[in-house]
Amino acid sequence: MQLPDRDNDIDGVAAGIDRVKVMLQSFALASRTGVVPVTATREVSVQLTVNGAKRAATVPARTLLVHFLRDHLRLTGTHVGCDTTQCGACTVALDGVAVKSCTVLAAQADGHEVTTIEGLGHDVHGARAAGRALHPVQQAFQDEHALQCGYCTPGMVMAVRQLIADTPDPTEDEIRHALAGNICRCTGYQNIVAATLRAARSPATEPATEPEE
Amino acid sequence: MFPADFAYARARSLDEALDLLAESRAAGEEAKLIAGGQSLLPLMKLRLAAPQVLIDLADVADLKGGGEDAAATAAGAATDLALGALTTYRQLQLNGALAAGIPALADALAVLADPQVRARGTVGGAVAHGDPAADLPAVLLTLDAELAIASRAGTRAVALDDFLQGIYTTDLAEDEIITRVRVHTAGAHGSAYEKFPHPASHLPLAGVCAVVRLRYGLIEGAEIAVTGISPRPYRARAAERVLAGAGPAPDTLAAAAALITTLADGRAAGLLGDQHASAPYRAHLAEVLAIRALTRAADRASEGRNQ
Repeated sequence: MQLPDRDNDIDGVAAGIDRVKVMLQSFALASRTGVVPVTATREVSVQLTVNGAKRAATVPARTLLVHFLRDHLRLTGTHVGCDTTQCGACTVALDGVAVKSCTVLAAQADGHEVTTIEGLGHDVHGARAAGRALHPVQQAFQDEHALQCGYCTPGMVMAVRQLIADTPDPTEDEIRHALAGNICRCTGYQNIVAATLRAARSPATEPATEPEE
Repeated sequence: MFPADFAYARARSLDEALDLLAESRAAGEEAKLIAGGQSLLPLMKLRLAAPQVLIDLADVADLKGGGEDAAATAAGAATDLALGALTTYRQLQLNGALAAGIPALADALAVLADPQVRARGTVGGAVAHGDPAADLPAVLLTLDAELAIASRAGTRAVALDDFLQGIYTTDLAEDEIITRVRVHTAGAHGSAYEKFPHPASHLPLAGVCAVVRLRYGLIEGAEIAVTGISPRPYRARAAERVLAGAGPAPDTLAAAAALITTLADGRAAGLLGDQHASAPYRAHLAEVLAIRALTRAADRASEGRNQ
């Protein structure tokens, strides 16, 4: 989001700012008052499949998916990094597609399937019973030492899984572009790229499936 | 960070979504529509937006689909393409025929936000948000996009150029929902999008989309749109006029690009600057990007329909 500089104000920019201010004031005045329409509720019951298991809970509507996973289901492998949709540490697969779970409501995920880093190993060759086997991307991260502090790693692994599902034989350039939504604060990108190349070439890697819309 | 408290409902149909909007209005509550939420949720977490009711459109079938006839438009058999408002950036990117028919769209999608955001963000949301630095509206403006908007009063059509009004300000009324975005694809194979992104936010400090339609080696017509430098993405119609009937020589393209901040009536476009880039710098970027976009668009146009 970019806000204008008042000094360069031309043609209704000030009006736009004033409108935002009025909106903010009205939000402040109106919040926590008034009647909620029958069909919209402040508490929502959500049912979703997480790592193959059905989970249900009633949560405040404003609960973010990442907090639902971490605080309600105690799946703390999914990290909160920037909390502003930039760093990718919270990346999970929603219906098989990598998304940032800090920018999805638990309510939006109701009725859908979520795979977190904890469930990734279970999907190797579709053998959920395999227990704690490492997914080929996880194995490649270990082999290439693609982590330093490890904070970004779960999100990186989930993003790399998506990249390889979409682009089975990626070039180094494609990998760097596809990881635009994941930040490694240790700046350990070189080994992450190497791990991605290794995982893509691993015979254990199978393309992920994505349901048709 | 949590959004402020709100009530949530997921509409199961367009009718139900319109009902929910009407109920919220009757109750005097501020309602917002949510599709992918990739712009709205970050604003809500920062408390820059605090709607009391959130109406989720994700399950509204009437807003889905579209783009299936992309192959026909790419082959020149059709000149219009309707995209459901809920179409995600990812779905657009995976639509190979669409990318082939409108290379500027593929250009923009490759540099727009990041893959995870593109998996959720929608076409309807991109235009409804009214962000002065959104990428997609620039592309849609060059395709003369028209929005289909539903309300209890029926359906209306409005040109995107009339819909965008200013910073986060659009023509969308409180009781309305965007259902479809229709684009005109004739000549769109000669198109390109160029952007100078902010390295952290990926938003364009400036972005320029160009469509160049060639006939017998001359420019039959050109559409140019600019984003990121003014209160709303706009068509650079003065630059377009310079190109009509001219040959696509570098000097001509540069002469057109020099008019990138001039509006149709000859007035200068209102420019924005902020802590990241001053208004004059953004205008300079737009001119440079316009030359690049026009050059690539003209090259693609001369390469022919099927590249």
